[in-house]
Amino acid sequence: MDLLKLLSTNEIIAQVLGFLILLALLRVFAWKRILGLLDKRKERIALEFKRIEEAKADIERLRLEYDKKLASIDEAAKLKIDAALNEARAILEESRKNGYIQAQGIIDNAKQSVKYELAKAKDELKNEIIDLTLKATENLIQEKLTEEGDRRLVKDFLEGVDKL
Amino acid sequence: MAQTQQVQHELPNLVSLLADKIGRFTHLGEQIYLWENVIFSLIIVLIISLVAFLACRKPKMIPDRLQNAVEAVAGGLDDFICGILGAQGRKYTPFIGTLFIYILLMNLCGIIPFMKSPTSSWSTTLGLALCVFIYVQYTALREFGLWGYLDHMMGRPRGILAFSVFIPVMMFILHIVSELVRPISLSLRLRSNIWGDDLLLSVLSGMGAGGVPLLVFSTLLAILAALVQAVVFSLLTTIYFALVLTHEEEDKETRAN
Repeated sequence: MDLLKLLSTNEIIAQVLGFLILLALLRVFAWKRILGLLDKRKERIALEFKRIEEAKADIERLRLEYDKKLASIDEAAKLKIDAALNEARAILEESRKNGYIQAQGIIDNAKQSVKYELAKAKDELKNEIIDLTLKATENLIQEKLTEEGDRRLVKDFLEGVDKL
Repeated sequence: MAQTQQVQHELPNLVSLLADKIGRFTHLGEQIYLWENVIFSLIIVLIISLVAFLACRKPKMIPDRLQNAVEAVAGGLDDFICGILGAQGRKYTPFIGTLFIYILLMNLCGIIPFMKSPTSSWSTTLGLALCVFIYVQYTALREFGLWGYLDHMMGRPRGILAFSVFIPVMMFILHIVSELVRPISLSLRLRSNIWGDDLLLSVLSGMGAGGVPLLVFSTLLAILAALVQAVVFSLLTTIYFALVLTHEEEDKETRAN
């Protein structure tokens, strides 16, 4: 019962009233505003986060599209390179064939020229030899030979040369 | 009054000095002395109101220092209360938050020279505990309804024979007693701790060891105790609300099943 002596009804009522006044003041002027502001800020932050997430998703989508495009560009480039290589190979092959044909023609021409030049050289050589032989024979036997005799001698000589 | 016994263990404060100046045994001096705790409580009310007014008169999305500090406290308390009560805790944040700030400042008041903790008076703490008690009972009645509240007080589970009448009646009485004891335990716990701290401060105020006043250590202890007691009072209040609100959810689930 000594404990109860510590209590004062007036003081209890005054304290309750004091607290209720403080509560009413703070509820209207502080809590409502502050909590409202905190909620607004939270919403704003959440909205910003949502926007960031959306932006991230957009970036990711764009990246995937970019990768796809890059992959398709690579594929197209590869196809084009392959086509160009095939074309180049075909041109090379054709050029090679043409070159071969042209070379063969040149070689044939050259062979014919060689044959012709050889024949020509042989004829010139024959005439030269005939002339030389005639001069040499003339000088050697110091006598005038008949045309018929000359020709026979030359013919024999030439046959001898051919056999060589 | 019995407070005369307390005076012997308390350091002098502004109000007691004023009462002494006027003359403690004059009518005015006696009245001032009797309303000592209420005067200090009103000083705290004024300080809190002033700070709240200055911080919240033009709230900005990008806060200044004072608003930032008030927002940090309010946000922390809101998180704390909603962490226990869930989303519906927001409804009780102003009540419990105000209670916490008010009690904390009243507790800390005793550490300031020439001030006194109003919470070292049982009348103060009982007044606050009664506010809690009435609000909790009102919440329970509003949530359950009168019959639902009585039903809730009779407890669960119900059975046959003795269990259908005897046990529920006993549970009802037990619940009533426990509900009535709550404000007393709540208020006495706070009052006794703060009174003990103030007593310790007054006893140690004249002592020292090796040139260091013992008041330094006991002040640190008193700050810690002031904070802990404010937290305990607010936490218990939150739990009382949680008990009422959780039961409501359980009852709804039971009825649904």
